[in-house]
Amino acid sequence: MSAPPRRSAPLGRRSGRAIGIWLIALLVALVATVQIRSQAEVERSLVGTDTTTLAFLIDDLHRANDALSVETADLTQRKATLQSGGSPAADQELTAEANRLRAIEGLVPVHGPGIVMVVDAAGLQSLDLQDALNNLAVAGAEAIAVNDRRVGVGVPIVQVSGGVSIDGELITAPWTISAIGDANRLAEAADAMTQQMRADRRVRQASYRVETVIDIRAVTTERPYVYANGS
Amino acid sequence: MTRNRILGIVGVAAVALATGFLLAGQVKAQLLTPSNQVARYQALVRSVQDLEKTNESSRAKIAALRAEIDALEAAAAQQSAGTRDLQNQVADLRAHAGLTAVHGPGVEIDLGNGPPAPDQGGGIGYLVNYQDVQDLVNLVFASGAEGVSVSGRRITPLSAFSGSAGQVVIDQGPPLTAPIKVFAVGDRNRLLTALDDPVSLPGLRARQVRFQLVITVTGIPDIKLPGYDSSLQIPHVSTS
Repeated sequence: MSAPPRRSAPLGRRSGRAIGIWLIALLVALVATVQIRSQAEVERSLVGTDTTTLAFLIDDLHRANDALSVETADLTQRKATLQSGGSPAADQELTAEANRLRAIEGLVPVHGPGIVMVVDAAGLQSLDLQDALNNLAVAGAEAIAVNDRRVGVGVPIVQVSGGVSIDGELITAPWTISAIGDANRLAEAADAMTQQMRADRRVRQASYRVETVIDIRAVTTERPYVYANGS
Repeated sequence: MTRNRILGIVGVAAVALATGFLLAGQVKAQLLTPSNQVARYQALVRSVQDLEKTNESSRAKIAALRAEIDALEAAAAQQSAGTRDLQNQVADLRAHAGLTAVHGPGVEIDLGNGPPAPDQGGGIGYLVNYQDVQDLVNLVFASGAEGVSVSGRRITPLSAFSGSAGQVVIDQGPPLTAPIKVFAVGDRNRLLTALDDPVSLPGLRARQVRFQLVITVTGIPDIKLPGYDSSLQIPHVSTS
């Protein structure tokens, strides 16, 4: 009577177990690989830019492209007028363009809807004022004055021993910032700015009001070019 | 023995079932979500790219239209001394508004990101941001610059700087990222002195030390600045 092969059954079970373990290991490896690759793909595509930033970017680009469309339409219209009208039409176009550019460069008094912001503070720096003015510019400000001094990019705002000067003239607290533009957008920006300012220990008071007509009488000085030449 | 075996099988089955559920949950939560994230992200990126293409073509169209208008005005100015006088005035105003290309001596300032290193607040202090560019532009204008451009975008009296996470948006242009090149035309010595002053640009200099941001300033005998190619509308302003 030969004895049953005692080792054959355990061997079969062992092979079965080994195959099972290998299958599980393979599955785990597969899942891990897919997981790591998916994660890597996300990380690779998100180089420096998250989805929130992209969403803001899309919003900004839509707004920018809308503004460019308006400019394109305006220029197309001006071109058509020049093509059809000869010298009188050119005079009219050039006069309108000169007036517009003088307003943009701060060379003439202007008026329009907007906001007036009052900031009473001690120790604010020129960088604080520059940031405030830039925030208003981002919100579409088309003309700005601070304490009856006309400002814009290119007008020097610097830190001096007594405080902050605009185009060489010291401005003292409180700062009254008048900005002309889309009153809703400016109010939105002014609201956020004043809330932020009120959290600043240096600021005693920060408020704003919306005005249907703001008069900016202050003008900048025309600076002839010394170094720059037309191409 | 048989009872033990049955209990063992039931135990293994329960553990296998629990593992299966866990695995399925993990697959659903961790594998599918990133795939969707990638798809959503790619859709957003495609939107940005499409909008940037439209932006670029619109700006090219605006530049072309301005050139055509210039030519038409020049032609009209040939016919009348009054028109010629007006045209000269407008040409000067356009130059000061940054609408026309200019050249002259000045400085080139190169801004570069530092090596990636999250700061204590998990922030992005090693990236050049829009406030760095804004401060730099304000400094060169305060130091007598007559014209400034930032990575090919001309600065105007109404220019505005915005952006986030290392992106710099100027007016209606597409987002710029470092390296950023700022060109300023003006008194080269005065500009170089202002830029070398250790007191100027405090925020940028602090991050230059802490995050190795790169700031290089070079004097150049002749720099060309492009004309502004975007919108300069002031629909809410009336002249008195």
